[in-house]
Amino acid sequence: MPIALLKFPTDLLRDVFKFCDPFELYKLSKCSKRTQRSIKLSGRKNWRIRYFDPGTVIIYVDHWLYRFEKAEKKEDYFKGSMLKPMSMRYPDEVVDLFFNLLDTFGICRVGMLSIDFRNFESFSNIANILIERNMEIEEFHIGSEPDVKDAAHIMPLVNRMNITQYFECDPRFLCRFHYQLETFPKKVFINWSYWFNIGQLLNNSCVRMELFKSNLSNQDLDVFLRKWKNPETFPNLGWLKIYGKKIDNQSPILDMIPPIQIVGNPRAEVTFGYRKDIVDGVPVSKDDGTVGWLKVELGGRWPELKFLVVNPDDTVITSR
Amino acid sequence: MSSTEQGTSSAAPAEPTTAPESAAAPEVPESFYYVHGKDKVVHKVSAGALQHSALIHGMISNLGYTEEQAKANPFPFENIDGDILQMVVDWCNQHKGKPTPPEDTNLPKQKEKLFDLVLAVNYLEIKELLTYCCKQVAMMVKGKSPEEIREIWMIPTDAEDEAAEKEAKKRAGKEAAGETAAAAGDAK
Repeated sequence: MPIALLKFPTDLLRDVFKFCDPFELYKLSKCSKRTQRSIKLSGRKNWRIRYFDPGTVIIYVDHWLYRFEKAEKKEDYFKGSMLKPMSMRYPDEVVDLFFNLLDTFGICRVGMLSIDFRNFESFSNIANILIERNMEIEEFHIGSEPDVKDAAHIMPLVNRMNITQYFECDPRFLCRFHYQLETFPKKVFINWSYWFNIGQLLNNSCVRMELFKSNLSNQDLDVFLRKWKNPETFPNLGWLKIYGKKIDNQSPILDMIPPIQIVGNPRAEVTFGYRKDIVDGVPVSKDDGTVGWLKVELGGRWPELKFLVVNPDDTVITSR
Repeated sequence: MSSTEQGTSSAAPAEPTTAPESAAAPEVPESFYYVHGKDKVVHKVSAGALQHSALIHGMISNLGYTEEQAKANPFPFENIDGDILQMVVDWCNQHKGKPTPPEDTNLPKQKEKLFDLVLAVNYLEIKELLTYCCKQVAMMVKGKSPEEIREIWMIPTDAEDEAAEKEAKKRAGKEAAGETAAAAGDAK
């Protein structure tokens, strides 16, 4: 027996919608513009959204997580599972779904964007709108994928996006293009970081940075660490880790020829989501008295530099 | 279940029968009030049962009626159909003095009456029953496609909404023009 739902006053609609899960509200939003407006009026939770290439979108709040996956066949439309994690297959283009969810649920924060270049056009459409709305993106992850022909277009987008917490870049970009990271969230991890040069390192404002397969040399790192010693430079930096073949024993870093370590020195340890530590490092002082622990190792497949800045609030120094 | 008599007016209600009492008789004599809906059928309901309705509870707390005064002045709910009010009164009697369990088997099941029941319960401010009714409405579309939802909840398409909006504007325009003409006629 049908009932004319939209004839209910707004407070009653709100009470009804409280018992509908996001999948039902999404389907309802597709019925008409008026129903979508009614859902918006019915109050908002603090939903956040995640996007995973090529077509998965998740919205979540507290301990609730709803997963929308692209339907391959018409018979799968709106089918899904209510077992955790709850999921439903959608028929739309992923861009349409993404913006429908943003608008219907009044989402103003993106928890994560994860792309692997399988659907770059969709991603760039999403990125452009997020830029237009200046929406906060907590984490942005560029996943590993062999075909990265669109990589040249990614950095201009990244630099305009409001990424606040974490940027991770896994793939190996083509050498013939120039890539420049100009804005920095708190944490950065770049796997194939050959393109991340000293200019970008000197420009960073990160708390934690990890650069693998780097082209930075002893001279570059010497310049960076000397700059760090000046008061008020890199005030956020807590952890720097660099793997690179150009770190060698041919020239000094802060007047020390690598390897740089003193066996028997204490363990300096800090937790940034997960634990980072330096054992047998060498203390280096900033001109304002801040201490950092430096260690450079040349053995192993990739020479590595680790630098941990002591923060009395979260750094633990253990004698050995 | 309360019983009722037909055809009584709010000004002179016929003698209604009393709703059944719970097994344990209250120590203090219970006060009763009288309500009627659109059909003018008067229902005698105890103050205890009426406590579920924030609206009626608020009204009776301010009145301080005697039994005779209450009988002579039943609360008129002209906007509620008689059968709907009957359902509500039944529910209030069944749940007198006790909270509603999460899965209440005594709740009204008639889907065809759900729309009017929700509006009545909302008007009477019976929070627990309203919650249940809203849940029932929401459950109607569980697992349905947008097309099915559109049918179940009678949702017009965008085109239908636009057409209705145009029609409403046209009607409003005509009415305004009619009023202007009438005013001009009066002036002459």
